[in-house]
Amino acid sequence: MQTTGSDLTSVAAGEEAAFTVLVDGRSISARAGQTVAAVLGAAGIRVFRRTAHRSEPRGLFCGIGICYECLVTVNGVPNVRACVTAVAPGMSVETGAAKRHGDGS
Amino acid sequence: MATEAELAIIGAGPAGIAAALTAATAGVQVVLVDAQPRPGGQYFRQAPGAAAAEALPVRQLGASPVCVMTDTLVWGVFPAAAGTGWELMLSGPQAPSRLWARVLILATGAYDRPIPFPGWTLPGVMTAGGVQAFLKGQGRLPGRRFLLSGTGPLQVAVAANLVQAGAEVVAVLEAARLDWRAARHVAALWGQWPRLAEGLRYWRALRAARVSLRTGWSVIAARGRGQVEEAVICRLDDAGRPIADSAETVAVDTIAIGYGLIPSTEVSRLLGCVHELRMDRGGYVPRRDAEMRTSLPGVYAVGDGAGIGGAELAQIEGRIAGLAAARELGHLSAAEAGARIRREQPGLARQQRFAAMLAALFAPRPGLYGLADDDTIICRCEEVTLGALRRAVAEGAADVNEVKGLTRAGMGYCQGRICGELIGRIIAATLSRADDMAALRAAGCFTARPPLHPLPMATLIALAEEVGD
Ligand code: FES
Repeated sequence: MQTTGSDLTSVAAGEEAAFTVLVDGRSISARAGQTVAAVLGAAGIRVFRRTAHRSEPRGLFCGIGICYECLVTVNGVPNVRACVTAVAPGMSVETGAAKRHGDGS
Repeated sequence: MATEAELAIIGAGPAGIAAALTAATAGVQVVLVDAQPRPGGQYFRQAPGAAAAEALPVRQLGASPVCVMTDTLVWGVFPAAAGTGWELMLSGPQAPSRLWARVLILATGAYDRPIPFPGWTLPGVMTAGGVQAFLKGQGRLPGRRFLLSGTGPLQVAVAANLVQAGAEVVAVLEAARLDWRAARHVAALWGQWPRLAEGLRYWRALRAARVSLRTGWSVIAARGRGQVEEAVICRLDDAGRPIADSAETVAVDTIAIGYGLIPSTEVSRLLGCVHELRMDRGGYVPRRDAEMRTSLPGVYAVGDGAGIGGAELAQIEGRIAGLAAARELGHLSAAEAGARIRREQPGLARQQRFAAMLAALFAPRPGLYGLADDDTIICRCEEVTLGALRRAVAEGAADVNEVKGLTRAGMGYCQGRICGELIGRIIAATLSRADDMAALRAAGCFTARPPLHPLPMATLIALAEEVGD
């Protein structure tokens, strides 16, 4: 998906990449304890998905697991909240899913 | 992992930890459940592998006999079959599927109150708490050039943290006008020295970084192709309405908004606790007695999730509920619990006064709720616009649940956490009754239904197997 062009800044100095994850087919370095959202941010990705009806771009909003705006596909599982999901070695993340289905309750 | 507890506490922020430590010290068997990977809530959040020591309460928790279940969602709470307690439905990699508890303390916390404006769904518009969580929890900046807009002390703190982390903060807009209304609250500041000193430190840091600090201003629109590229900001009149000829455009990539906090009341609403509309506590909150008991026997509610009051008040409320629960469970004598609860009263009153002052000074004024236009999305999950909501009200929907039925607003993944209060306000404004509070009360709040969060497939399969047995 769309990127800001270059990596967003890391605040902590001298941190080491512990492993890589696949983001939309690209290898991105990550370390234990990071969220999927932080890794997407490091890869310069701000648009996490598109909405079902108006196909509008959406990204991080509440940042704490409440709004469900940051949904991505992780290891083939759709509708995973990037902001509260920790990365793991070998994980594959896909952005840009066009659909999500409410639970209808 | 435990599947039974004398006391289950939902939420491991300041309130929940204080309740857990107090009850466990009195000999109560406590299970503390939290959705995050580590205890601490939003307040004691820390980056993975951070060099600084964990906050004292979090360390005390680690050394206590409290059973802490992290990474665990509570998706339902029901009266236990035998009528002797409560059954919690859990979902998490290490969690049992159910937890039975005799007594329950709800410490579910709060989240930022968003106010919608054209463009607020663009990537790059975030809540102030979300920016703070990203910065504190991940040690990263979620953007480069920031604008903060909202009300209350949180955004000054977030802005100072951003500056310290090397971000460019273009401006901090405080929608409230700090004027004569502040004077009658001066007494509430007594004893709040650490908090005032902290605020002053932030203020100085922002001044030093030449951040523009404006009171009586707000963001009124976000623009950009595919993500935020600029913000339109505007001076507000006394009713909180934008003064058109004062509008300015600023180039930013991230807009952090936060107009106070909304208590997370899904669990107390699901349980059927009596709630009351208290704008001084952030909206609908469970009604409680002086010992934090809700209208249901054996159910207590503490901290921001029971009414916004901040971390200090949350910890006092947590200790009081912990003592009352320990007495209820037979671990403390009535005399001892009573004496210790009495000792908390001066601190409780002082923090309540301070919370009341913040609520009065920083309440978002009604005009701010008029920033959205008919094409602005209000329910972000189901993409329901303000225009569609107004039409539903015109067609006769008189409360939030009727509007939900007509428009699907509030039916999506977030279950109305973001749009619920907004829809209440839209109904009240559309029907334009004279009495604001009465209109809001009549609009009501969404009924909470299980599952309180969408469940992972694995949990659904496990449940189906359980039922099939
Ligand atoms: S940003 Fe709100 S749930 Fe992830």
